[in-house]
Amino acid sequence: MLEGTVKVINPLGLHARAAAQLVRLAGKFKCQITVERLDGTAFANAKSMLSVLTLAASMNTVLKLTAAGEDESEAFEAVSYLFSNGFGEL
Amino acid sequence: MSMNKVGGVIVSHGQLANELLAAAETVIGDLSHIVAVSIGWHDDVDAAKDEIARAIKNVSQGVGVLLMTDMFGGTPTNISAMFLEDGKVEIVTGVNLPMVIKFATQSEETALSDLAREVEEQGKQSIYRTAALLEPHKMKKDA
Repeated sequence: MLEGTVKVINPLGLHARAAAQLVRLAGKFKCQITVERLDGTAFANAKSMLSVLTLAASMNTVLKLTAAGEDESEAFEAVSYLFSNGFGEL
Repeated sequence: MSMNKVGGVIVSHGQLANELLAAAETVIGDLSHIVAVSIGWHDDVDAAKDEIARAIKNVSQGVGVLLMTDMFGGTPTNISAMFLEDGKVEIVTGVNLPMVIKFATQSEETALSDLAREVEEQGKQSIYRTAALLEPHKMKKDA
């Protein structure tokens, strides 16, 4: 299992289209991928769009990213890159 | 092999159905298994019924069709109710954007009746009084 943090850097936060990108990317991997708020108030399956939206992660929110399963390292790297890339919106 | 999906028809008064579908497509991408039927305020019942029948036929892949209507008791729902058929056509009323997104992102083997229940639940769970979320002690751990 891989664990680390990612930061939302795009101005609109983890909004609907960004969440859709995350879900589309996460769906390509076999491993379980979860994203949660550091204060533990919200937890999401990265493969469920509506789950991701409940994180209500605005710009500068730091989230805990976890990937667990056979392709976890590829998944962790790809999802981390999506966040650091501002979901291609910058 | 690609599995067959449950087809979806959004039925509403005015242009609401078209716009809900357009919004969901903007977020998710092409949704060829969902169509919108917007019933004009002055359309006659037979014309509207024909249009819904055509829509059901267009989206059906043989594993059922879910009609998502705007409001229980309204004409779009009442006309849609004529098409209810066990295992083939189900209706969920009060359609909102999270419901359309839930429907659009269905996992491939979900049966019509299960999907209808999931969409109903999603619609209910997606309504928040947002100010309540800002009161930390009231937030749910697993939303």
